[in-house]
Amino acid sequence: MFLQTLHLRQFRNYREQIVQFDAPKTILLGDNAQGKSNLLEAVELLATLRSHRVSRDRDLVQEGNPEGVVAATVKRETGVVDLALLLRASGRRTARLNGQTLKRQLDFLGALNAVEFSCLDLELVRGGPGDRRTWLDTLLVQLEPVYAHILSQYSHVLKQRNALLKRQNGDDSSNPNGMELAVWDAQLAALGTRVIRRRARAIARVAPLAALWHRNISDGQEELVIRYTPNVQAETAETDDPHQIQQAFLAKIQDRAIAEQMQGTTLVGPHRDDVDFSINQSPARQFGSQGQQRTLVLALKLAELKLIESVIHEPPLLLLDDVLAELDLTRQNKLLDTIQDRFQTLITSTHLGSFDAQWLQSSQVLRVVRGEVIKAGD
Amino acid sequence: MIEQFQRLPGIGPKSAQRLALYVLKRPETEIQALAQALLEAKQQVGVCRVCFHLSAEDVCDICRSPSRDRATICVVADPRDVIAIEKTREYQGKYHVLGGLISPMDGIGPEQLYISPLVKRASEAEVTEVILAISPSVEGETTTLYVGQLLKPFTKVTRIAFGLPMGGDLEYADEVTLARALEGRRELD
Ligand SMILES: Nc1ncnc2c1ncn2[C@@H]1O[C@H](COP(=O)(O)OP(=O)(O)OP(=O)(O)O)[C@@H](O)[C@H]1O
Ligand SMILES: [Mg+2]
Ligand SMILES: [Zn+2]
Repeated sequence: MFLQTLHLRQFRNYREQIVQFDAPKTILLGDNAQGKSNLLEAVELLATLRSHRVSRDRDLVQEGNPEGVVAATVKRETGVVDLALLLRASGRRTARLNGQTLKRQLDFLGALNAVEFSCLDLELVRGGPGDRRTWLDTLLVQLEPVYAHILSQYSHVLKQRNALLKRQNGDDSSNPNGMELAVWDAQLAALGTRVIRRRARAIARVAPLAALWHRNISDGQEELVIRYTPNVQAETAETDDPHQIQQAFLAKIQDRAIAEQMQGTTLVGPHRDDVDFSINQSPARQFGSQGQQRTLVLALKLAELKLIESVIHEPPLLLLDDVLAELDLTRQNKLLDTIQDRFQTLITSTHLGSFDAQWLQSSQVLRVVRGEVIKAGD
Repeated sequence: MIEQFQRLPGIGPKSAQRLALYVLKRPETEIQALAQALLEAKQQVGVCRVCFHLSAEDVCDICRSPSRDRATICVVADPRDVIAIEKTREYQGKYHVLGGLISPMDGIGPEQLYISPLVKRASEAEVTEVILAISPSVEGETTTLYVGQLLKPFTKVTRIAFGLPMGGDLEYADEVTLARALEGRRELD
């Protein structure tokens, strides 16, 4: 797929900007705090309806304005698609696809696909479990758009259940309604099971691809194993049987009932999942060197690109935010070999000198200055 | 006045302004009549003692109507849902309005809803079916499960299968969708 134009209105520090893309690679060049990452963020938003930087639309809309727009034209093999996302400081979004306002936002997902790779991803291995869940969820949203709905319902049930536990724990006089809690348990387990199964499925697909890339980048020296470590584990691990997982879920809730009552919060469920990375059988988190961790993350990103491509039958976009300078020449070249001119790539940088000259081939260079995009040389 | 109007459902700043200008232009007697009508409605319309639908009388028209089937009760969250289902003219039974949905975040538990009067009604011998017509949101689903469990010992419990947009309200479902949903109801498991 090819992103032809991006239109930003009152988005972050852009007042009104149309960007035309006309090469497989676009280098966005500019000093710090000019709007380079903001532009990539706009693309990420269209692809996933999320931003890895914020969770409130108020921060995305240009300061002092009630609303902003991110719109794009994308050329797909099946035709040209027009995407528009209206953001409001108040939080309500409107999504339009080919001029039609969508009733369900999840129908917006899948029109544009992108893999984001930023410096933050380099922290994926060493960061907290929440970072790894976010990474996995963002991938899943693009593989199975309905996951966005399942996950938001799960979070909603979780909030409700926590509110109930908090109330019952705060106020001893109100006798806890066991039946009400049981109904929330059932909802949590049913939705949680759907989340767990999809996460397991995504890891099962991405893990072998990433292992292959990792072996390739490390010249066959390193074996990467990625394992999903769900908080709720069915008796026969690796099972995909929803019934078994749900049973295990409810049993664990029973086990932790007293702790949950005491702490007034939900202790069981996929909001406590994690993903384990190990290289040559030792945990990458503790023992991986800087270089190994970089190889790992690069391998993950390449695996994501390939996985999304194999699912949607078109190469997704790649968004490289400030990360290229962090990779040495060998790793840069592996990346370049993979993307060639097939994956449209947007790259941000503060100077052209910070990466290898090969990247300039089949590239367009745009300058970003205080929320405006100018063709370099103009 | 504009601010007051804006608090009404479905009224944005522009409509509020339009309404305010309209009020200012009309003769005083007319506005007085409007204000009077609003107040009277508020003072006179309470809820039906049996089904908790809005009613000016102690017991509402639907509950009193001899032509409606006493054997089925359709359970909804809100009086608006009764109005939406009545528009389909498909349904001949009685109603029960819960007065909301279970939502711990908003401090609404089963005790805050008209659930126990429903259980009492459903346990009467003449009732053979209770239809749960509650939107499939997280809170709607929880309320459906909760009420369903309480009622199952007494009567057959079904729920209507909405083809509603995710997170959609009953109110927004068109009449055709609702009528079809009523026909396609299935037993709660
Ligand atoms: N909602 C907003 N309204 C107006 N300006 C905003 C808004 N959000 C962010 N900005 C501005 O955008 C700028 C940051 O842009 P961005 O993160 O894209 O920088 P960058 O070009 O990627 O810089 P760096 O090279 O440091 O990563 C800051 O000047 C910030 O004040
Ligand atoms: Mg940046
Ligand atoms: Zn009544």
